[in-house]
Amino acid sequence: MEFPLIFWSVVLWMIAWGVIGGVVTPRVFLRKDMDISNAPLAGAFVGAASGPLGLIPLWHFAPQTTNRWVLLSAVGTVLILVTAFAVADPDNVCVTNGDLVASQITNGLVMGTIYGLMAMGLTLIFSILRVVNFAHGEFYMIGGMMVYYVSAVWLPGTPPVVAVLAACAITFVIGGLFERIFLTPMYDGRVERPIEYAVLVTFGLAFFLQYFVQALAGASPVKARRFFDFPIIRLPSAEDPWLIKTSKANLTLFDTVSISNPRFTAAVIAILVLLVLLFFLYRTWYGKALRAVSQDRQAAAVTGIDPHRMNMLAFALGGMLAGLSGAVLVQAFSWVPQVGMLPALRSFVIVVLGGLGSLPGAFVGGLIVGLVEAAGTGCIPDPQRAASYIPAYGMIILTLTLLLKPTGLFGRKE
Amino acid sequence: MRPLKRTTAIALGVFAFSAAPALAIDCPIKLGGIAPLSAPGSVTGGEAQRDAMRIAVEEINAAGGVLGCQVELVVGDTEGLPEKGTALFEKLIGQDNVAAIGGGYHSSVGIAAKEVAHDKGVPVVFASTWNDQITASKLPEVFRVAPLSSEASAIYWKFAAGVPGTEKVVIVTENTDYGIPAAEETQKGLESAGLAATTFAVDIGTQDFSGIVQRVKAENPNVIIVLLTGEASLNFEQQAAENGIGPGDLPFVCDIIAAESASYWQNVPDGNYCFVGQFGLPEALYNDAAKAFAAKYKERTGKEAVESYAIEAFDSIGVLAAAIEKAGSTEGKDIIAALETIEHDGALGKVSFPYGQGNDTGAAGVEDKFWHQYLDPALMIFQYQEEGQKAGNAPIVFPDTYKTGEPQYVNQ
Repeated sequence: MEFPLIFWSVVLWMIAWGVIGGVVTPRVFLRKDMDISNAPLAGAFVGAASGPLGLIPLWHFAPQTTNRWVLLSAVGTVLILVTAFAVADPDNVCVTNGDLVASQITNGLVMGTIYGLMAMGLTLIFSILRVVNFAHGEFYMIGGMMVYYVSAVWLPGTPPVVAVLAACAITFVIGGLFERIFLTPMYDGRVERPIEYAVLVTFGLAFFLQYFVQALAGASPVKARRFFDFPIIRLPSAEDPWLIKTSKANLTLFDTVSISNPRFTAAVIAILVLLVLLFFLYRTWYGKALRAVSQDRQAAAVTGIDPHRMNMLAFALGGMLAGLSGAVLVQAFSWVPQVGMLPALRSFVIVVLGGLGSLPGAFVGGLIVGLVEAAGTGCIPDPQRAASYIPAYGMIILTLTLLLKPTGLFGRKE
Repeated sequence: MRPLKRTTAIALGVFAFSAAPALAIDCPIKLGGIAPLSAPGSVTGGEAQRDAMRIAVEEINAAGGVLGCQVELVVGDTEGLPEKGTALFEKLIGQDNVAAIGGGYHSSVGIAAKEVAHDKGVPVVFASTWNDQITASKLPEVFRVAPLSSEASAIYWKFAAGVPGTEKVVIVTENTDYGIPAAEETQKGLESAGLAATTFAVDIGTQDFSGIVQRVKAENPNVIIVLLTGEASLNFEQQAAENGIGPGDLPFVCDIIAAESASYWQNVPDGNYCFVGQFGLPEALYNDAAKAFAAKYKERTGKEAVESYAIEAFDSIGVLAAAIEKAGSTEGKDIIAALETIEHDGALGKVSFPYGQGNDTGAAGVEDKFWHQYLDPALMIFQYQEEGQKAGNAPIVFPDTYKTGEPQYVNQ
């Protein structure tokens, strides 16, 4: 960094005014008898982005701090931070290379979509059962393993869509069976401490699945073939394909954004599944029943919904979403029985960041983590450290969020 | 009769006392074999080492064992993690009562676990842990048949420096006791040859390299050298290929794990033209011991070629067994003394450790890294030149001493 003093001075200034905004704003709002649920977050962002110039009017007029307020002030904060970084490090590759920035943002969004899909499974289970599934990463691993074994070992030549559906079916069944056999004692008082029981039993499932698969399949890395190769496309012309250029493994848009084939396929499938999931949750009886149970179990039971059946459905669906994430990524990454550990950890970060039990929160949290990881990896000046901190980037965002909004971005108080 | 009885008793006592060490040996003689058998360790390498060590023990037992005893191999999984490695050493020595330990793949495990071997006085012959410090610490118990990291790095940077038109090299390494020093030595060598070099480091076991691949691409390198181990290297190589900077796009040196052809082509289907380091002689120059081992290894594993780390693991057990036989004892200090003077006809060649307590590196005027170090590992680079090619059929392209074919530079 050429002018570190500039950058770190700006950061310190933003932190100082962010802290003042985050601490003082809720007190001011409380004194004026206003809702303070968003006040610490909005106050911190307004303080960080504009210092006293924004905070004094905020405290004086005390407007209702809606999500839009929070979003706008957050965008302002990020813009100021980016500007300070660009001024302080004008030769940084993120400042001088627009192609890299565009590719990193695209990669962040692509991976964030898949992170979000996996995290939605975890948060769905929590919203219905109030159980954190510590075996979520193993469902992810099994999804990938199933696609590999179906398409490459058991039935070579099987269309990828069939292998993905098989992975969904298996993870759905494992989830449903596990819930019926091991989690039902939580509901009928057969265990004294149901929360601790759930933690232990899902941990047990995680270890069992990991070592069971290792015993059956071995620990050597495997990988499924690409679901399909891109057709060779050059648009608008073969001589100057500035719009779209493809090879069998890569897609380049506008001569700038580069997306690999497996990630593109995985992101498209993830988006389609998200749409189907939204349709299921908001347009079908079972989906509405799941949402009803997540909001109020007793009221849902009074209307004729069986909460226990919804428990099974939620656990099976949650496991299936993790399995599906693995199923679409086994063509992008080498797969071993321990492959689910990091994605599971990331899912925990995302669901807490987005708000435990919130489906939109999980999706938005996934995108945020994807983008932050891409920005950190792309822009940290020291190449020896940029990628080493990948797991830390999400943690920093999580810590800040929990400090300012303990319920997470979209969480609600019980 | 009384004097005679006394003389007989004394003679019997002396005999019994002198024979005591031999009588004290418990059969079977246990040897520890360490390898990474689960992630984040390099499982492909670990399984190859495990199979090689098992073959070594089978051969030893088929030839009558050691000191009249059968040898039993106790295999343990290091997971490629230092803390698992030290715990495994504690278990092998304290619980399984092994006489000595062979094998080993990850340097970080070797760095940490050698201290346990030293504390307990149990000799260890590391098979494929390259970090110079492992031997440079001059511990009496620690021996190595693998090449030194500095020597392996030299083969990489000398090769890269010889690629026509090279101005900039990117090194992608891991944050481990192997990766960081190896990258530093490689970068130093490249810079000494007048080339620009940038190093990117990631955690062991990293899966998603999308951000790093884009940054490497932005550096616009002429050559990429991968110093990652295990499936992380396979992930990086394939993701680089999918983004237009893979082995098919520019000269690209893959991790040695790429020598396992079947696994490589399954995980890096777009990885043709990759250059791969090989440590150990090419099959055409194998001695009788290596040929016999290779035949059994291929039959056992179904592989077409033998990886260097498998041969090293095989010899690590073989040289330990030979040292126990020579020492006539399973005591650590006796085995160490035997190892320091041994000349074992292994698959690698004549395995010996010229510098040690009897011939100190300082007195001999050589660097400490040569302490208990096998000095003659052959270092070379081969290149896959056809999709799906077996490692054994791929031509050796560097250095000239071992060359069997010309390198194909894809960007020329």
